[in-house]
Amino acid sequence: MRATPIGQPVDRVDGRIKVTGAAVYAADNKPAGLTYGYIVTSTIGRGVITGMDTAAALASPGVLAVYTPFNPLKLFAYVQNQNDESAPPLQDKEVRFHGQTIGFVVAETWEQARDAASLIRTTYQQQPPVTAFPGPPAAMEKADTDAEGPDTVLATGVASVAQAVAAGEVTFTASYSTPVQHHCAMEPHATVATWNGDHLTAYTVTQGAVLSVRRLSETLGVDAAKIHVISPHVGGGFGGKWGNWAQVPLACAAAKALGRPVKAVLTREQVFTLAGHRPLTVQNLKMACTADGKLTAITNDGITSRGFAGSWSESVANWTLTTYASPSIQVTKTIVPLNLGAATVMRAPGEANGSFALESAMDELAERLGLDPLEMRMKNYATFVPNTGKPWSSKHLDECYRRGAEEFGWSKRPKKVRATVDGDWLVGTGMGTATYGASRGLASIKVRLSADGTASVSGTAADLGTGQYTVFAILAADVLGIPVDRVRPELGDSTSPTAANAGGSNSTCTNGPAVQVAAKAVQTELVALAVTNPKSPFHGKDPAEVVYRDGSVSSGGLTMSFGTLLTTCDVGSVEAVGTSPRLVDPEHGFRSFGVHFCEVRVHRWTGEPRVTRWLSVMDAGTIINVKAARSQIQGAVVMGIGQALLEATEVDQGTGRFANGNLASYLVPVHADIPPIDVRFLDHPDPLISGLGAKGIGELGIVGVAGAIGNAVHHATGVRVRELPITLEKLLGS
Amino acid sequence: MASNEPGVSGGGSVDGHLSRRGFFGQAAAVSAGVALVPPAAAVAAAQPVEAAANAGLVDVAFKVNGEPKKLSIDPRVTLLDALRERLGLTGTKKGCDRGQCGACTVHVENRRVLPCLTLAVSLQDKAVTTIEGIADGETLHPVQQAFIDHDGFQCGFCTSGQIMSAVAVVREGAARTDDQIREAMSGNLCRCGAYPNILDAIKQVQAGDR
Repeated sequence: MRATPIGQPVDRVDGRIKVTGAAVYAADNKPAGLTYGYIVTSTIGRGVITGMDTAAALASPGVLAVYTPFNPLKLFAYVQNQNDESAPPLQDKEVRFHGQTIGFVVAETWEQARDAASLIRTTYQQQPPVTAFPGPPAAMEKADTDAEGPDTVLATGVASVAQAVAAGEVTFTASYSTPVQHHCAMEPHATVATWNGDHLTAYTVTQGAVLSVRRLSETLGVDAAKIHVISPHVGGGFGGKWGNWAQVPLACAAAKALGRPVKAVLTREQVFTLAGHRPLTVQNLKMACTADGKLTAITNDGITSRGFAGSWSESVANWTLTTYASPSIQVTKTIVPLNLGAATVMRAPGEANGSFALESAMDELAERLGLDPLEMRMKNYATFVPNTGKPWSSKHLDECYRRGAEEFGWSKRPKKVRATVDGDWLVGTGMGTATYGASRGLASIKVRLSADGTASVSGTAADLGTGQYTVFAILAADVLGIPVDRVRPELGDSTSPTAANAGGSNSTCTNGPAVQVAAKAVQTELVALAVTNPKSPFHGKDPAEVVYRDGSVSSGGLTMSFGTLLTTCDVGSVEAVGTSPRLVDPEHGFRSFGVHFCEVRVHRWTGEPRVTRWLSVMDAGTIINVKAARSQIQGAVVMGIGQALLEATEVDQGTGRFANGNLASYLVPVHADIPPIDVRFLDHPDPLISGLGAKGIGELGIVGVAGAIGNAVHHATGVRVRELPITLEKLLGS
Repeated sequence: MASNEPGVSGGGSVDGHLSRRGFFGQAAAVSAGVALVPPAAAVAAAQPVEAAANAGLVDVAFKVNGEPKKLSIDPRVTLLDALRERLGLTGTKKGCDRGQCGACTVHVENRRVLPCLTLAVSLQDKAVTTIEGIADGETLHPVQQAFIDHDGFQCGFCTSGQIMSAVAVVREGAARTDDQIREAMSGNLCRCGAYPNILDAIKQVQAGDR
C-alpha cells in the first residue's frame, strides 16, 4: 500500500493557476456581447422614493436600460431565508437603509453605465433612520435564542437563574459590546449572466452553487433545472457570499430582458452596504462562583441588531451555554431592527463576538479571585455539554491547554498586571478558549476514472480559499491509491452532485466522507466493467476474484492500471456517485476545540497596541491537509486580530451612512500588523462524527482571539476594555 | 464648461498621441457628470458626454508582457479595466478600484503601479508587466513557486498583486529584515490572512538570490 497523504502537508492543487492568474473568478468571465450593469444606491437612510429622473441617464451614450422601482425588472418574492436581503431589489419604493439598491443601469461599457448612473436624480420623502440601540430596551424584540438544547438550565432546588446568581459567594457583572464589522473578502460580489433561450448560465460568487440556483429559481420564476451556476473560484467569503445579494438577480433578470449577457460587480463601497455585515451586539453577563472559583450560575443577555432589509441576527449569547460548566445557565436574545443593510453571518457568527465577552469575563473573575486565568478555566472545565449534560463526541481541550501553556511559557507569566516593561512598551500575555460546533450533513460526490489515468472528483462544494480542492484530491487519492496529482477535483458547478456548501465549518466533515464513499464505489464499477467488457483481459471472471488496489485491477497474476484497462476496453471513463448521510446523533455534543495564547505590547505614551507573539493549539479531529489547515487557523487569527484591535464600521448617526465603508478607512489587518503565528494541531480523530474523524476548522480559529487579546492588553496595562475594537484612545493614559 | 474645450469633440488625439489639452478637456467633462450634485447642473453636464458618444475614443499603444497592444478607447478607462475588459488579461484583479487594497498591482516600466489609479491613455509607449507575464514559459517565477511552497495565499484573489509587489520588493533589495519586508508589503491587503506565509515565501526567494 502507498503511504496515505491524509495529514501530510500537501501543496494546494489549485496553487499553480492561482499564482499565474489563470484561476477564473466570476468577474473574469466575458461572454460574447457582454454588457455592464451598475447599481444605483440610495443617499438617505430611511424613507420613500418619490421620484427618479432617468432621462439624462437614458440619453447617455451606450446606455441600454435604466431600471428603477418605477420601471423595475420583475423579480418574484424570495421564498426561503438565505441570511441575505428578505426581498429582491427594486420591487418597492421604500428605503430601509443608506446605500440600498434603487436602480440598475445597463450599458455597453462599464464606464458608460457608471457615469450614466451618476446622472439619475432621485427625490425622497425622508424619515429619521434608526441606527443605534435605544437606551432602555423597550423598543427591542425578545427573540428565540436558536440554541442547540435548552437556553435555560437550573441546578436542583434553584427557582431561577437570577436567584442562583444572587446566592453566589462571588458575583461579577459586566457588559461587553462589539461594533458593526464587515467581511471584506478581497473579491467584490460579481455576477455574469447569460441566457440561451430559456436556460440561464450564471457565473457568480457563492459559497454554494445550489444556494444561488435556489435563489434564482425563486425570484426569476424559472425551473431550477434550467439554471446553471458556475463558480469554480471564490475570492474569499467568510459568510458574506452565503447569501445572494442584489447583483445576482439584477444581472440575471436584465440579461433576460435585454437578450444580452450582463456583468454586475459591486463597487467596494457597495459591498459594504449591499452585501451584509456582522451586526452590532451587546452582552450583559452576570456570573456567580464559589470563593475558590467554581462557577455556580451564569446569565448572558445578548442584544443584536438586525437590518430592516434582512431577517438574520446574531445569537450572540449562546456560546455561554456550551463553554464552561455551571449548574445554572441562562441566555437570552433580544433583536433591535436598525436602518442598516441586512446583517448576515460572518466567520463564527455568534461565537466570535460571544467568546469576546465570556473569555474576558473569565479573566476578570479569575483576577478578582487571585486565580491564574488558565487555572480558572480548568476549574470550570466542561466534561459534559453544559446545557444538555450529554457527553462530547470527543474533547481534548485540556490537552490543548497543557500543551499550549508549556510551549508558550505560560508558567513564567507575572501574576500582576503591568509587571513587564520593555523600553516604551508595556508587555502582557493573555489566553482565550476556542470552540465551534461540528456537524455532518448530507452530501453526494461523483468520482470518475478516465482512460488517461486520471480521476476526477466533483460536487457542488465551494473552495473560498479554504483548501477544499486539495482536500478532495487528497481523500480521493487516498482511497484510490494514486498520487494526489492524478486527481482532478471539480467544484462550484451546480450540475454536479449536491455536496455541502462552504459554511458553518461544515465542508470537510460533510464532503470528506462522501468523497471516500464515491472513490470506493467507483472501484466496484471498474471491476464490473473489467469482468463484463469483451475487450477486457478480465472478461468473464468472477468479480469476487478481481481486486482493485493502488490504481490497478488485478486477478490471477495479471495487473492492469485503470487507465490502461479503460483504454483497452475503449471506454472513456467509469463513474460512481457516493452519498454520505446526515449524522443524526442526539446522544452527543459535537464541537471542535482549541486555545490561543498571545503576547501584546502597548506603547506607554501613545497607547498603540501591537500583537507580538501568537500560539494556537487546536483539537479539530483528523486534519486532512496540515499545510492548508494551518494557514486557515492562522488566517482566522489574523481576522481576529482585526476584530480585536482595528475593525469597526462607523455608522453616521444622522444619516445611517457607513462613514468608513471602504478599504482605506475600514481597517483590516495589513502585513505589518501581524506577527509570526504558531499553529499546532492535536492528532485525535473524532470517533463519532464520521469514519474520517474530521471536524471543522474554518471558524474555530477566530473564536477566543479577541478575548485573548483583551486579556493580554489588560495584563500589559491594567486597563480592561469591554468595547471592541481595543483602539489606542481607550488605552491612552494607561 | 468643458464643452468649450476644443479637445473634446476632436477626440484629443494628435498623430496617435494624446494631447494634454484634449485629455484634460475630456477628463473635465467626465468629472463634471460624476461630481456635480445639484440636479440642474448635472443635466446640463450630460450634454457634452452625449455629444461625445463615439467621437471621444483615444488611441494609445503600449506593451503588455512584451507584446505591443494598440487600443482605441474611452479616456475614462483605467489600465486595470483595459487589461481585464479589453485585453483579456484577467489575472489582474479589481479589489477596490480606489488604490486601497493592492490587488491589482502590476509593473509599469519595472515599477509597481496600481492600474486602478492609472488611466490607460497615459501609458503611451510604456511597458506593462502583469502576473501573466512573469513566468518563463512553463517554469514559474521563483516568487510564484515560493508562494506555492509556503502556502502564501488562500482564496487567491489578492495573490497576483501580492506576487507583483513581492517580485519588485525582491528586485529592489531594500527590504531585508522581516519588519522591512512586512512594511514593504503592507500596501497589499490579504483578508485570508496569509501574511506570515507570504513573508516566508519572500525570504525563500531572497535566500536563493544571495
